[in-house]
Amino acid sequence: MDSSLMNKLKILADSAKYDVSCSSSGVERKNSGRRGSASNAGICHSWSADGRCISLLKVLFTNKCAYDCQYCTNRRSVDVQRASFEPAELAELTMEFYRRNYIEGLFLSSAVEVSPDYTAERILQCLSMLRYDYGFAGYIHAKIIPGVSQELTHAIGLVADRLSVNIELPTEASLQRLAPQKKAKAIFTPMTQITNTLIQQRSLKGPGTMFKGENLNDSLHYLHPEGKTLVPTAGAQVHLGEGSLYQMSNGGEHALIREPRYKYKEKFCPAGQTTQMIIGAGTETDRQIVKTSESLYRSFKMKRVYFSAYIPISDSPLLPSVFTAPPLTREHRLYQADWLLRFYGFTAEEMFTESEPNLDLELDPKITWALRNIQLFPIEVNKASMEELLRIPGLGTVSALRILRQRKVSAVKYDDLKKMGVVLKRARFFLTCSGKYYGEKELSPEYVRSKVLESDRIKSQLLPPKEDSQLSMFTPGSFRLEAPDSLHPNTPQRRLKTDGGLLI
Amino acid sequence: MVDYLYDGSFEGFLTCIYWHYYGEKASGIYPAAQYQPSLFYGFTEVQTEAEKATRVYEAIEKKISAYDLQRIYRVFLSSVENRELLLLNYIRLGFKEGSKTSLLHGNPYVFPVAQAEKKIGAEVHRLYGLLRFSVLEGDILYAVVEPDHDILEFMAEHFSDRYKHDPFILHDKRRGKALVAQGGEWYITAFTEANLPQFSAQEQEYRALWKKYFQTIAIQERTNPTCQKNFMPVRYWKHLTEI
Ligand code: SF4
Repeated sequence: MDSSLMNKLKILADSAKYDVSCSSSGVERKNSGRRGSASNAGICHSWSADGRCISLLKVLFTNKCAYDCQYCTNRRSVDVQRASFEPAELAELTMEFYRRNYIEGLFLSSAVEVSPDYTAERILQCLSMLRYDYGFAGYIHAKIIPGVSQELTHAIGLVADRLSVNIELPTEASLQRLAPQKKAKAIFTPMTQITNTLIQQRSLKGPGTMFKGENLNDSLHYLHPEGKTLVPTAGAQVHLGEGSLYQMSNGGEHALIREPRYKYKEKFCPAGQTTQMIIGAGTETDRQIVKTSESLYRSFKMKRVYFSAYIPISDSPLLPSVFTAPPLTREHRLYQADWLLRFYGFTAEEMFTESEPNLDLELDPKITWALRNIQLFPIEVNKASMEELLRIPGLGTVSALRILRQRKVSAVKYDDLKKMGVVLKRARFFLTCSGKYYGEKELSPEYVRSKVLESDRIKSQLLPPKEDSQLSMFTPGSFRLEAPDSLHPNTPQRRLKTDGGLLI
Repeated sequence: MVDYLYDGSFEGFLTCIYWHYYGEKASGIYPAAQYQPSLFYGFTEVQTEAEKATRVYEAIEKKISAYDLQRIYRVFLSSVENRELLLLNYIRLGFKEGSKTSLLHGNPYVFPVAQAEKKIGAEVHRLYGLLRFSVLEGDILYAVVEPDHDILEFMAEHFSDRYKHDPFILHDKRRGKALVAQGGEWYITAFTEANLPQFSAQEQEYRALWKKYFQTIAIQERTNPTCQKNFMPVRYWKHLTEI
């Protein structure tokens, strides 16, 4: 057997594993005389020992890096084994894995070998071979290295389903400190180009349900092509200034500078663009992180922003010490906050107060928000609008839709809610059903908080399932976490006994 | 009231529904092969009749909905306990309530059927990912499954689209049948592994590469076997190349 290929695969998978964005959803491609197909729903092929879904062959094209980013295992100044794939070699490997149904496609990232353009050219060669020589119709997600020429970005976009340019750090200050060779401008230029090309091709969609019903593919949404400026677009209403991130240009003007028109025979990047940030390497607050994501969604209409808890690998004075535990709970809460942004109509600003710039590690952000705005509750499920229903903790888009639909035929009863997928353990404190309240006692933030925490602790087996047991056994660090891609603020919970009581 | 026994086929089941309406009411419907006589009711063996089955089939489609017809078929192929009885109740309710039946989420006749449908849908989706094909001599792809539910049919479109250029065999070992497909066309047939060709020369090599990849990609600091098993139940592991 070719042991060198085995060795390369080991090195280049090992250095790609910290990249978290692995979803293969967002593009449907039936087989039209080619080999393979892509499924819109996203298919997981395996789960690794860390509980994360494997759906794509996730590798670096090379880990021979010319840069020296502090947080990275592959930076020039460390002594690790180095390897690069040959374009043909990786194309064949992908194809053979795909045929055996090991993977849904390829997720190709890369270090910067020689220069961004040199690396991008070899990546393009590999992807073109896969698409055109093998006729591969599976999923391809390619990373665009900041600084790559516009032509190469475009050409790679024509063979890939999804592109991502990693923003890496939530603020420009951190970027300067930790990744001195990466410039904000070099990150935002290809991001802008990708968004604009998608608009031109009339296939820009945006994240989740955030821009539902809006036409994003018109001239208003074109982005200023240069610099680190994020231009707010129609309906965006981004609060700029204090507390955020990359300094963004103010004002509502829209630059209508377009790129040359291409004729799109092949679709350019049909699954849209995403990006990733590392959490906990710099000193940012959650508020800054969530605000940066919100701006990325509003300005670039990205499909997703991924967060990756920083796992200390290097003993740099600029970084948390190697003994720091990766902030996994924080990452989990950020994904929940992200979900609120994309699907539940929340703004970043709503999730934080001046005095609390970080998310509560014990409670999910939707409950935290509800407890802070307790005067809006309880909400009557038989009267509330979709928007109001979505504000109830424990109630998601699926259950909200089911409630609306059933209401047309008959009133929703409390017993129906669980069958519709509502997590009553949380929701019961925040709703009434035909005027009746089921939260046992008065609706006070302190009471609800203690009740919810208690049931969480019982669930994570930190407490015996008894009402009056001690709370001191609880340690926040030991929550059970799920893999990022399946995160949902409302995970199904155990059965709950409810007796109900009248609303006071 | 009488227990109806049928041959296990969908047509047979529909014929029982026919007799429930045009003959004696059913106390239960069971595949004849598994029937244990009840103390309270007598039983009748029902001859499958295509014509009667078609009438029920069309009535469900017209008077309830095409969606419900599909739902009924899917649940019929599940291994959920008492599925015939669940479906009988669902169909009876359906003929009363019409197309809004599937919206009555809280109804005790609808809920269990919806749950069963969810189970079978989840297994199909899960197996889209968890099947492992091997390349045999002659470039034939071959995979073994032992699914909880009888789902070969629901896998057919997905895989025959994906492997249009590679002939493949998807073998349900538990039920002794296989989905055989080539060039986008497929059929289901009785099957054993006798006379299968050998693995292709490179098969072991790619298995080893995949195993290596699988081990390498896990992040040590985040090891979480509970989570892994939640998503990928251990009963599927024996046919996975990587484990
Ligand atoms: S450019 Fe990428 S691979 Fe190179 S050191 Fe920076 S983060 Fe690491």
